[in-house]
Amino acid sequence: MLLVEDVYAGYGLSEVLLGTSLAVKPGTVVALIGANGAGKTTTMRAISGLLRPARGRVLLDGNPVQGLAASRIARLGLAHAPEGRKVFGTLCVEDNLLLGAYGRLPRFFGFRGRAASDLERVYALFPRLRERRRQLAGTLSGGEQQMLAIGRALMARPKLMLLDEPSMGLAPVIVQEVFRTIRQLKAEGMTMLLVEQFAKTALEVADYAYVMERGRIAIEGTPAELRRDERLLAAYLG
Amino acid sequence: MPASIVAQMAISGALMGLVYALIAYGFQLTYATSKSINFGQGELVMVSAFFSLTLLDLGLSYWLVLPAGLLFGAALGLVVERAAVRLALEQKSEGWILLTIILGLFFFSAAENIWGRDDRPFPTPIPSESFHVFGVDVTPLELSVAVGVLAVMGLIELLKRKTLLGKAFEAVSVDRDAGELMGISAKRTVMLSYALSGTVAALAGILVSPITTVGPTMASALVLKAFSVAVVAGLDSGFGVVLVGMFLGALETLASFYVGSGWREAPGLVLLILALAVRPTGVFGKAAIRKV
Repeated sequence: MLLVEDVYAGYGLSEVLLGTSLAVKPGTVVALIGANGAGKTTTMRAISGLLRPARGRVLLDGNPVQGLAASRIARLGLAHAPEGRKVFGTLCVEDNLLLGAYGRLPRFFGFRGRAASDLERVYALFPRLRERRRQLAGTLSGGEQQMLAIGRALMARPKLMLLDEPSMGLAPVIVQEVFRTIRQLKAEGMTMLLVEQFAKTALEVADYAYVMERGRIAIEGTPAELRRDERLLAAYLG
Repeated sequence: MPASIVAQMAISGALMGLVYALIAYGFQLTYATSKSINFGQGELVMVSAFFSLTLLDLGLSYWLVLPAGLLFGAALGLVVERAAVRLALEQKSEGWILLTIILGLFFFSAAENIWGRDDRPFPTPIPSESFHVFGVDVTPLELSVAVGVLAVMGLIELLKRKTLLGKAFEAVSVDRDAGELMGISAKRTVMLSYALSGTVAALAGILVSPITTVGPTMASALVLKAFSVAVVAGLDSGFGVVLVGMFLGALETLASFYVGSGWREAPGLVLLILALAVRPTGVFGKAAIRKV
């Protein structure tokens, strides 16, 4: 599904990724964990095209996508719920969701009808969003904005979802709710790459995990294998 | 001085002020998607007016020339985006400021060479004999300016609010990267905004030309006032530029009558300075204008 091969990327003169490689197989959930500044978010941005890799390849379904505009990559079936949620604050909840399906909806009229079943699916998953569908996204709570960011990504009917720190800044009870949704999506067969600060929670839902250190993958393995790694336990899993 | 004459002048001025509003709206359209504006916008107004006049000279009907002129304006807008804005934005530089000024100078020289330096009348089928309504005299020509400006701005605002394309336009204005992640091409959104901006510039030229005549310098004063209106109203409120534009138009007519005709240009500059000093986001604005 997704292959990242020896990617180098950064911002201006500061190189963040120094040869990152990872793979996500169809139908699996892969966690990307590591300390702050290790390059997790940069990896996500390099995959989705928000950042152009200086070297290396990103393959989506076997096709190289590195260097394409993010909007092109999105239309190839990759949905990225970015760090900090990045909902469109001046648009209402439902408009945010509709824009999630932008690539396959008519531009002028009839888009609401064409997206009705997808909207229904997202509202079933997040009843709170249905209650607030006419509310401006900027007025939602952090947890609701996270649900909107995930719902918006789902609207694209993606083949692969990137979730960057879905628990960031949320109360523990909301974090549980977000992870309940992630488990539910996993049960439905969604392929996901998940960046998480809460390594423990991430490993509970993941099939496979990578640990990043200073722009490279330091350790990888199944959650069971990683839990046996004492160095890792000390550093990230508390 | 009878109140009716004051009202008369205020209304005539306000109707003309809508032209400032339309040009200011052209600034808003591109600022929303790219945080850039075309400093040669006046030359787009003028070149589109000359182009339309040439079509009229060829014997085409006004009602054919109008859409042709608007399409020409859209094409000019795309030229500005491609030649002066895109490269600068890709390099996150402010180079678009200088490049759009230079492109405007180029358009100006080209217009002087093609059409000459003289002001020329712009024929229109819309009559200019005034009629009496609600105690004031207005001409159909003045009314056509108001109808044209409000109809086109209303149509664009309706498209922005009701269509998915319009919501995508707003999304890119709010967060370019997040828009890209939705599959919305920021590049094409910026192109669209420049095409629309060129279209409203051309409309301003075609609407105002029968009143002001067509000449290479016809838009230099207009665009200066439009800039004041955009800053005073704020760079993100279409409703705001209409109100401020009409207010400024009325104020100018009254100033030139009561203080002296040389003072016509004063209110625009005074409002601009006041706005920058007191409320740099504009009266109706949310986003602060960046200092560049």
